[in-house]
Amino acid sequence: MQRKSSGKSGPSSHALTRRAALSGGVAGAVLGPLAHGAGVAGAGVTDTEFVLGTSAAFSGPSMGLGIELYRGAMAYFEHINRQGGIGGRRVVLKTYDDGYQPDPSVRNTMNLVLEDGVFLLFGYVGTPTVTRVLPMLKLFQNRNVYMFFPFTGAQPQREPPYGEFAFNLRASYRQETAGLVNNFYAVGRWRIAVFYQADAYGRSGWAGVRAALAERGETIVGEATYQRGTKFTATMRRQVEILQAAQPDAVICIGSYAACAAFVRDAVDLGLRVPIANLSFVGSENLLKLLTEGMENSSQYTDWLVNSQVVPSYENVSIPAVREYRELMARYDPAPPELVTEPYTPFPQSFVSLEGFLNAKLMAEVLRRLDEPPTRAGLERAVFAVQGFNLGVSELISFGPARRQGMQRVYYTVVEGGRFVTLEDWGAKFAKT
Amino acid sequence: MAEATKVKKLFQKTLFGVFSLFGFIALSMSALCIYTVDTHLSEEYVSNSQDIAKTIADSSVDIMLNRNLAALQSLVDQFVEIQGIKYIYITNETGEFLVHTFVPGIPDEVLSADPMNTASVERTLPGMGDFVEVGAPILAGVAGTVHVGMDTSLIALKIQRAIGRQIYLISGVFLVGVFAAIWLVNLAAKPLNALLAYAVELARQGQAAAGEPAVLERNDEVGQLARLFLYMARQNSGDEPAKAPA
Repeated sequence: MQRKSSGKSGPSSHALTRRAALSGGVAGAVLGPLAHGAGVAGAGVTDTEFVLGTSAAFSGPSMGLGIELYRGAMAYFEHINRQGGIGGRRVVLKTYDDGYQPDPSVRNTMNLVLEDGVFLLFGYVGTPTVTRVLPMLKLFQNRNVYMFFPFTGAQPQREPPYGEFAFNLRASYRQETAGLVNNFYAVGRWRIAVFYQADAYGRSGWAGVRAALAERGETIVGEATYQRGTKFTATMRRQVEILQAAQPDAVICIGSYAACAAFVRDAVDLGLRVPIANLSFVGSENLLKLLTEGMENSSQYTDWLVNSQVVPSYENVSIPAVREYRELMARYDPAPPELVTEPYTPFPQSFVSLEGFLNAKLMAEVLRRLDEPPTRAGLERAVFAVQGFNLGVSELISFGPARRQGMQRVYYTVVEGGRFVTLEDWGAKFAKT
Repeated sequence: MAEATKVKKLFQKTLFGVFSLFGFIALSMSALCIYTVDTHLSEEYVSNSQDIAKTIADSSVDIMLNRNLAALQSLVDQFVEIQGIKYIYITNETGEFLVHTFVPGIPDEVLSADPMNTASVERTLPGMGDFVEVGAPILAGVAGTVHVGMDTSLIALKIQRAIGRQIYLISGVFLVGVFAAIWLVNLAAKPLNALLAYAVELARQGQAAAGEPAVLERNDEVGQLARLFLYMARQNSGDEPAKAPA
C-alpha cells in the first residue's frame, strides 16, 4: 500500500508549538539543506541549530503513535529552545510522514540524510519501518549517521549487525513479553495465545513470548495474525475463533491500537473472557478511546485489559519526570506536525507522549555532552559519557559499547475509572479460578 | 429467389465443412496455446520460486543463528511483495514455524504437511486459492526449510489473457472468412442461377422462346451445360443432328 511520502506530504520542521507561534515566538522552519556555520564541522549543525530528522506515522490507522510521540518530544525541545537552546543552538525536528509503512520510511531517511543533512535520526516509529531503515545506517556508516530512541522494542536495532548504529531508551519487546508471560504464569495462566501483526513487529513480540514460554517448558498454544494497517472497523472474528479453539488462559496482543481494539471488541462479543494484554507500542489511550467512545457497556471491553508500558504512569506525579512532563505539556500544548492532514484530537497526556518527552530529555543531555564543534563522529562518545544519569524516572540511565538501551523497567497498567492505572496486584485481578 | 436459394444449398455443405475445419483449427490452436503458456509459465514460476526460496534460505542462516526473527520476518515480507508470491514460511529443524506471512493464521493444510519436504507441491488453501509451493533447505536442512507459495491464479490469468488475444485474432480471421465465403458463393451462384433460369425457360417454352442468352456464350462448365440443354431440347423437337455439343 502506498502511503503519503515525503514527496507528497512534504517535510516540516518544528522548533515551535502552535501556541508558541501564535504568541510570537522565535522563527521555526528550516528550509533546504543546511549550510555549515563558521567554526562548526558537523552536518546538521549550525551556530544556531541542531537539526534532527524523523520519519514516523503521521497518517493512517497508527497516526496517533507518531503524533503523540512527536508532541511529547516537542514539549521538551520547546522548553529547551525557550531557555536559549543547547550551547546556544536551538533543537529543530524535521519531520516526514511514512504512514507506518517501510518503503516511505526508507525514502524519507534518504531525504533526511542525503538532502536535508540532518545531524541524527530521532524518534522513528515502528519495527517494520525501523528494521528496513537499519541497513541504510550501515550503508551511511562513514557519515556516522545514528538513530536515537526509536519507538520500537524490537531486537534488530539492539543486536548485531545493526545495533551499533542505534541507541534505545525504552525496554525491549523481549522484556515486555517476558514480564507479561511471567506474571500470567504466576497467577496460574499458563496457556498463552498470541494475536499479532503479520510483520517484523508482530514477529518480534511473538518471538519474545515464545522465548519466555520456552524457559518454562511451554509453547504458544494458539496464534492468529492480522494485516498491518487494519482499521477498527474491520472484523477480527476469524482471529478470535482461531484463538478460542486453543482455549487460552490469556492472550498477548502485539499490534497497534486500531487492530487490537477491534480484536478486543470481537473477543468480548464472542465470549472470549480471558485477560488480553497489549504491549507498550499499542498506544493505550487511543486503544481505550476506541473501546469506550460510542460503545454500549464499554467496561466489558476493558475489564480484562492489561497493557505493559515502558514508562511510568503519567498519573504518578510522585515521579519527578512525570511532574515535569505534565507541566511542560500543559504549558506548551504542542500541536501535531503541520504535515498531518487527517483529523486528530491530541491527548493532554499519554504514555506515548511521555516516552517522546523522555526521549527528548535524554537527547538534549547527549547533545550537551558533545565536544565543540559538534560533529556526528562525536555522538557515540557523547552517548557513552552518559553514566548514571538521572532522567527523573525510577532508574538511572547509563550507556556503553555493550549497553545501548537506557531503561530496563517494564510497568503494567489496567483500566480503572476510564483510564489506565498501575496494576498493583496481578493475583487479585487476573488469578485463574 | 427460391431458385437462388436452392442453388445456394449446393454450397451449404461446403460452407459447413469450411467452418468446421476452421473451428477445429481454432480449437486445436487454442489448446496448444493453453498447453504451451501453461507449461512455460508453470515451469518459470516453479523455477523462480525455487530461486527465491534458495535466496531466502541462503540469506537466512546468519539471521536464524542470531535468533533475530524480526529481521527474518522483515526479509520475508520484502520477498512476498513480488508479484505472484502469496505466502512464505520458514520452519526450523524441528518443523516449528518460525516466520510466516499467513493471515489470519497458518492453514491446516500447511500445518499438516511435512515441513522438511522441499519438493514442489500443488496446494489448494480454503479462502486463499490454488498454489504451487516449492521449498529450499537451510544449511542442507539442518537449520530448517524455506517454503514459497506461488499463486497459480496468476498463471490462469496470463493464460486467459493469451487465449483472449488469440480469440480476438481468430474471430477477426473468421469474420473476414465468412464475408469472403459469402462473396465467393454468390459469385459461383450467379451463372448457375442464369443456367437454371435458362433451363426452366427451355423446358417451358422450347428453344425458340428461350432465345440465345449470354449463358450459352460462357466457356466454363455452366456454358457447356447450357449448350447441352439446348442440344437436348433440339433433339427432343427433332430439328438437331445426332452430334452432341463440345
